[in-house]
Amino acid sequence: MTTLDAPQTDRPAGVIHDIGYQRYDGPRLGRRYLVGSLYLHSLRTAFGLGRTIKAKIFPWLIVGVVGVVAAVLTAVRAQTGEVALSYAEFPEVLSILIIFFCAIVGPELASRDLHSGVLPLYFARPLHRADYALVKLAALVSATFLMLAVPLTVMFAGAAFMVDGIGAVWDELGDFLPALGYVAVHAIVYSVLALLVASLVRRRAVAAGAIVGAFLLTSPVVAVLSVMPHEAANQLAGLASPVTLVGGIGDWTVEEVGDLDIGPYGPLYGLVAVGFVVAGILLLLARYRKVAAR
Amino acid sequence: MTTVSWITARGLLGRRRFLLLFPLPVLLVGLAVLSRAAGVASTEWGLPVVHGLGLGVVLPVTALIVGTAVLGSEIDDGTLLHILTKPLPRWQIVLPKLLVAAGVTALTVALPLYVAGVLVESVRFGLGLAAAGAVGALAYSAFFLALSLLTRRPVLLGLVYVLIWEGLLNNIVSGTRVLSVQHYVVTLTDRIAPTALLDGSVSLPVAIVMSAVFTVGFTLLAIRRLGTFSVAGETS
Repeated sequence: MTTLDAPQTDRPAGVIHDIGYQRYDGPRLGRRYLVGSLYLHSLRTAFGLGRTIKAKIFPWLIVGVVGVVAAVLTAVRAQTGEVALSYAEFPEVLSILIIFFCAIVGPELASRDLHSGVLPLYFARPLHRADYALVKLAALVSATFLMLAVPLTVMFAGAAFMVDGIGAVWDELGDFLPALGYVAVHAIVYSVLALLVASLVRRRAVAAGAIVGAFLLTSPVVAVLSVMPHEAANQLAGLASPVTLVGGIGDWTVEEVGDLDIGPYGPLYGLVAVGFVVAGILLLLARYRKVAAR
Repeated sequence: MTTVSWITARGLLGRRRFLLLFPLPVLLVGLAVLSRAAGVASTEWGLPVVHGLGLGVVLPVTALIVGTAVLGSEIDDGTLLHILTKPLPRWQIVLPKLLVAAGVTALTVALPLYVAGVLVESVRFGLGLAAAGAVGALAYSAFFLALSLLTRRPVLLGLVYVLIWEGLLNNIVSGTRVLSVQHYVVTLTDRIAPTALLDGSVSLPVAIVMSAVFTVGFTLLAIRRLGTFSVAGETS
């Protein structure tokens, strides 16, 4: 420890002691670590983990209902041997709950940070704006996927112990894995729309309403288009709503007997869904390029 | 009283958020015009447009946005305190706000419902829809206004009611329809202008009495609740 040289006078003057403060020049946890922590934090936020009981009510209510549905389906199958609902139909039947889950979690992830104005703090770190948007999206997709995939896996596990012989288990697996992919498609399409809407609205409550509105408003359009006197219009009607858009993909790929009449337009449904997701992500990135840049 | 309603109306109509309400009626009228122009029989598209979109989505969602905004936005930004400290009885705060909410909702919803009703069936059906829609707007507004005083998350709970209770549960468990504003509206419309399109699922006395109970009950609850209201910051 050294002292700065005092002025060359006799009287004692004020001195500044160098008590050894140093710059930190060791390794720093960079952008990748930030992305990882933000993802984990967002995923925990989605289920209200690490927060008050109030934040847990709504997400766990939905998780509970989905779990009960899966448990009942498994029990029915165990008792009667009938498959009341196939794996692929599971997310379709529960689509309103998925919408609701996205409407609860999406604003929690995006609108909260907008409302409390903490985005500049995030962006002061080596975290890019695009990282933030993509990580939030990934967290919402993962949360929605988990919410559906875990009960679906329970259903599969139940069925695997029920059927006779390893061959039947393979058949079950053959039904289960595509359905898992179909659940992922649901999670991606629903989450993109939900997070995009949530990123535009500061107040969580309004954002939740806007998300549900965005999903619900489009379904009567489908209902009207599907009674039009043109066959092509009927078969393309499903494109008008994200719910039936995903349903059309299901009819095209995983289900033998579709519940929507999509005719030969299956690949178009897939293409439109990809375009929808890409456009949604681009809009989300554009939104976060501008937001909080004042 | 007039000042409170004037403030409420200005707070409601003077914001950009109010523009969110316009796509709903426009979509309703647009779909009706489109279907009419395509020359499809109105029995095919009448139900999804009038019941599915009009009474099932446009009316409750408009009432939800407006009804939770008249008091909710003032609670959120803390300006409710300025009104509460004035020497006004609580009912003179709740009633004007309820009337403004119901009026705005009824105006935004009844007009497109009337147009859609005329396009589907007849002027009488349009008027029936508009009148029943106005009654529904009043009941919904009272409910959502009380909800914004009872809980911190009024919009989410309101959505639970509209989606899960009215949208999902009413189709499965028919007994829950007795507590569903949507079915009162359907029944009233069916009585004013009988058509093959809508059939009332609850009886007329139930619809009338329960609409009144919803409106008066939740208004009284809101007044009571506002009397013991404590202003607090955001917690969760």
